[in-house]
Amino acid sequence: MKGRGLSAYALLVYLFLYAPIGLIVLISFNAGRQASSFTGFSLQWYRTAFGNRLMVEALGNSLSIALTSACMAAVMGTMTALALQRVTGWRRVLYDGLIYVALMVPGIVIGIATLIAIATVRDAVNPLLQAVWLDAPRFDLGWGSIVAAHTLFNMALVVVIVRARLAGMDASLMEAAADLNATPWGTFRQVTLPLIAPAILAGFLLAFTFSFDDYVVASFVNGREVTLPLYVFASIRRGVTPEINAIATVVLAVTVALLVLAQLVLRRAQRPRLRAQVPGPGG
Amino acid sequence: METKRLLPIGEAGALPVMKRAGPGRRRAIVTALLLAPSTLWFVALLVMPLVVVLVFSLGERAPAGGYQAGFTFANYLNLPARLTAFTNTLTLAPVGTLLCLVFAYPLAYFLAVKVKRAKLMLLVLVILPFWTSFLLRTYAWIILLSGKGIPSWLAVVGIEGVRLINTPTAVLIGIVYGYLPLMVFPIYVSLERLDKRLLEAAADLYADPIATFRRVTLPLSLPGVVTGCLLVFILLMGEYLIPQLLGGGKVFFIGNALVDLFLQSRNWPFGSAVAIALVVIMIVAVGLATRWAKHQGATREVSLL
Amino acid sequence: MNKREFLYHLRRYQQGSISRRQFLGATGLGVASAVLATELGLRPRRAFAGDIGDRVSLCTWPSYHDPANLEVFTQATGATVEMTVFGSNEEMMAKLQAGAAGYDVLVPTNYTIRDYASQNLIQPLDLAQIPNHDPSAHDTRFTGEGAVDGTVYAVPKDWGTTGYVINSSEVTEGPTTWKEFWDLTQTTHSGRVMVHDYQLTTIGNALKYYGYSFNSIDAAELAKAEELLLAVKPHLFGINSDYKPSMLSGDAIMSICWTGDAVQLRRENAAMQYVLGREGGEIWTDFYAIPADAPNVKGAYALIDYLVTPDINAKEVLFHGYPSTDARTNALLPKELLEDPILYPAAEVLAPLEFGATGLITNEARAELFARFKSA
Repeated sequence: MKGRGLSAYALLVYLFLYAPIGLIVLISFNAGRQASSFTGFSLQWYRTAFGNRLMVEALGNSLSIALTSACMAAVMGTMTALALQRVTGWRRVLYDGLIYVALMVPGIVIGIATLIAIATVRDAVNPLLQAVWLDAPRFDLGWGSIVAAHTLFNMALVVVIVRARLAGMDASLMEAAADLNATPWGTFRQVTLPLIAPAILAGFLLAFTFSFDDYVVASFVNGREVTLPLYVFASIRRGVTPEINAIATVVLAVTVALLVLAQLVLRRAQRPRLRAQVPGPGG
Repeated sequence: METKRLLPIGEAGALPVMKRAGPGRRRAIVTALLLAPSTLWFVALLVMPLVVVLVFSLGERAPAGGYQAGFTFANYLNLPARLTAFTNTLTLAPVGTLLCLVFAYPLAYFLAVKVKRAKLMLLVLVILPFWTSFLLRTYAWIILLSGKGIPSWLAVVGIEGVRLINTPTAVLIGIVYGYLPLMVFPIYVSLERLDKRLLEAAADLYADPIATFRRVTLPLSLPGVVTGCLLVFILLMGEYLIPQLLGGGKVFFIGNALVDLFLQSRNWPFGSAVAIALVVIMIVAVGLATRWAKHQGATREVSLL
Repeated sequence: MNKREFLYHLRRYQQGSISRRQFLGATGLGVASAVLATELGLRPRRAFAGDIGDRVSLCTWPSYHDPANLEVFTQATGATVEMTVFGSNEEMMAKLQAGAAGYDVLVPTNYTIRDYASQNLIQPLDLAQIPNHDPSAHDTRFTGEGAVDGTVYAVPKDWGTTGYVINSSEVTEGPTTWKEFWDLTQTTHSGRVMVHDYQLTTIGNALKYYGYSFNSIDAAELAKAEELLLAVKPHLFGINSDYKPSMLSGDAIMSICWTGDAVQLRRENAAMQYVLGREGGEIWTDFYAIPADAPNVKGAYALIDYLVTPDINAKEVLFHGYPSTDARTNALLPKELLEDPILYPAAEVLAPLEFGATGLITNEARAELFARFKSA
C-alpha cells in the first residue's frame, strides 16, 4: 500500500517536472508565431533556428565558455583538493573559508562585484598598457571575464566534491604505493587519480552545467559577448518566437543522447572490472 | 676537534628528521605550486572584488549615478529603505526551502529505497530538466500560470477567479520547480548509503513504519537533508529571476533590489551596502545552520557521489 | 492601384483580416521596397564606400523596428542587425555607464541626450554620413533636443505620447483622465492594472493625479506621488514595461501605454482604446545616436541612414505605429493613418502634454522613490 502510494507520488512529481518542458518542446513545433498558443504542427523553427547567425553564435559561446571553465575548474580544483590535504593550521582554515565563501556568495553579488572590479581596474590598467605597448589587447569585459567568473565558483565546487572523495579514500593505499618505491607522481597517476576520477568527472559535469545555463553572472560581466541564456532572455523581452524553443529542444535531445551513450559505455566498462575486482576486507 | 653529531641509526625518531629536511621542503614547494592557481583566482576574483564592493559601500552616489569616492556609513544606515525586500527574502527563502524538502524527500526515499531497477535512469530523469534553459522553463510557467493556463482549466471545473501569476504563490511554485532536483540529489545519496538491514531490524523489533522512519531513516539521512537545504537556501537568497518573471515586479527579493540599484536607479554605493549586508546575513545563517547540524550529529560531509 | 483600393487593403490590414505580408504583397509596397533597395542600391547612397563589417548592434525598445526592413538592410550590406531591447532609459544608461556594452546605434529619448553628451557616452554626429536625413523636413518642436549647445548628437526617429490603454470590453466607464486611471485601479479594476517599470512615466503620471507637473522634482509633490503609488501597489497586476502579452491574454485590462503599442494592440483586438489623460502627461521624441565607444561606427551610420530614408521610415511607421517627425515620411503615409487620433492626436489634446525634462534620468530623488515603490 505504501509502495503504491509512493510510486503514484513519484509519478506526479515527474509529471510536474516535465510539464513545462513538454510545453517548450510542443511549441517548438508550433506553426504559428506566438509562443503562447499552439496553432498547428510545423518544423519551420528548426530550419530558421540554425540559420539565425546570432543564436548559433550565442550557442557556440556558451559551449566554449562552459567547456573552458569546467576544464580549468577540474584541473585547478583537483590540484587544490590534493594540496589541501597537507595544509594545516590557520592556512587551512583560511582556505576552507575562501572556498565556502566562493560557493556561498550569491551569483548576483559575484557578478556585480566582478563588474565593478573590472570596470575600476580597466580604467587604470588600459592607459598603462597602451603607454607601454601600443597594440596591447584591451583588458575589458568579455569572453575572458565570463570564463574567469564562472571558474571561481566551479573550482570551489570541484574542490568540495574531490575533497569529500579523498576523505573517504583509504590512505593506506597511498602509503602502500610509497612503500613499493613509487614516485609521488607515479602514486598519483596510478593510485590516487583512478580513485578520484569519478569525483573529478562529477565535478566537471556539474561545473559545465552551471556554466552553460548561467544567466545571472554572465548578464553582468559579458560586455558585448552573448551567451545562450543571455540570448534567450533577450528574446523573451523582444517577444518570444518559437525559434528558441527549437534550440532548447535540440540541446535537450543532444543531452539525452549523450547520457544514453554514457550509460551504455559505463555498463560495458563495468562488467570486466567487476570480475577483476579484488575482494575487499569485508568479504 | 670537531664535534660531530652522530645520528643514531635505528632510533625511530631519527630517520624522519632526515626525510623532512630534503623532501619535506620539496613537498612544501609542490604544495605551494599546487595551490598557486586557485590562490590567484581567489585573490583576483573573490577577495579583490569583494574589497572593492566594501570600499564602494562606504562611498557616495555620483551625480549621474555610479560611484563617487567618499567615506560615509549613510548607505548602511539607509538599509531599512529596503526592509521589505529583506523580509520577503528571509520569509520566502526558508519557506521555499522547506517546501522543496517536503516534496523532494518522498521522491528521494522512493528512488533510494523502493526502486530496484533503472535507479540511475530515474535519477537522471530528475536532473535532466536542468539541461534545458532555466529561463525557458520559467517562461513556460508564465504561460501555464497566466489567465489562459491553469486558471482557465480550473474555471472549466467550476473554480472561478483564481489568480496565480504575479503572486507570491507563483514565485513559490517557481522556486519549488527550479530547486527540487537540487534537493533530491543529496538526500538520495544519503538514503542510498542507508543499510536496508537496519530497516528490517526495526521491523523485526515491532516498530511501525512511522516509528521506523522517525527513529531510523530520518536521523540517518540528516546529513543529506542538511546539505540539500543549505544548498537550496544559499541559492535562494541570491535569487532574482524567479521573483521578477513570476512575480511581475510585485514580489521583491534582495536580489531584485540589487539589480535595481546597479542597473536602474544606479546607486552603486547603496547597492554595494545591500550586497555586503546580504553576504553577512548568509554567512550568519549558514553558520547557525551548520552549528545546529553539528549539534544534531549530522556533520559528515555528504559526498555528492 | 488607386487610392481607394489602397485604403481598402489598409483597412483590412488594420483590422487584422490580412497579415502584414499579405498587405505589402497586395499593395505592391513589398515588391516596390525590395526593388528600390536593390535597384537604387543602398551602398552608393552613403558618403563612404566599402564594407561595414558583419554586424551592427542596435540598442532600442520593444516592437520598434520592422524585422523585414532590417532583413533588407542585411541583404544589401551583409551586416546582421543585432537588437537589444530595454524597458526604460535608466536601464539603457546603466548598461552604457558600465562600459563595453558594444552597441553601435542607440535609441535614446529626448530628455536623456544632454546627460549622455555631458558624460561623453554618445558621440557628435557627422551629418554628412547621414545624407538621407534632412533637418529642415522635421518639426523642430520635436527635434530641438537632438542638438546640445549647437552640436548635433542625435537625429530624430519618431515621436509619441504616453497615455494608458484600456480593454473597452471590460473597462466600460469610459475614463478620460489620469485621476480615473488611478482611482479605477484601486476600486473596480483592482488586480488587473499595470504600470511601467520606468520612473519617468509611472511617477510622472502619478504626479498628474494631483495636477502637478509631469517632471516635478519638488520634494512635497514627490512625497504625495509616492503616497499614491504605495496605496495603489497592492491593486496592481504587475509593474512591467512589457505589458502587451498580459493585455492580450486578458490578465490585465488597463495599463500605462505608449502610442505605438496601443496601435499594435488595437490591431490584435479592436476593443483596445488609447486614452490621453486630460490633465496632461508625456509627449516625447526618440532619436538615433551613436555611443562614444561604438565598435562599428561605419555600420552605425549606414543603419541610421537607412532607417531615416523616408520610404523605409514610412514602412517602419506602418509596422510600429509611432508617428514620424519627418514631413517627407508623413507624405508617404496613407491619409487614414495621418488622421488616426492615436498616432496624430488633435492639437488641443497634445497641448497639456510635457516633454520629459533634462536631468530626470540622473535625478536621485526620483530614482530612489521608484526603487522604494518597487521594493514596498
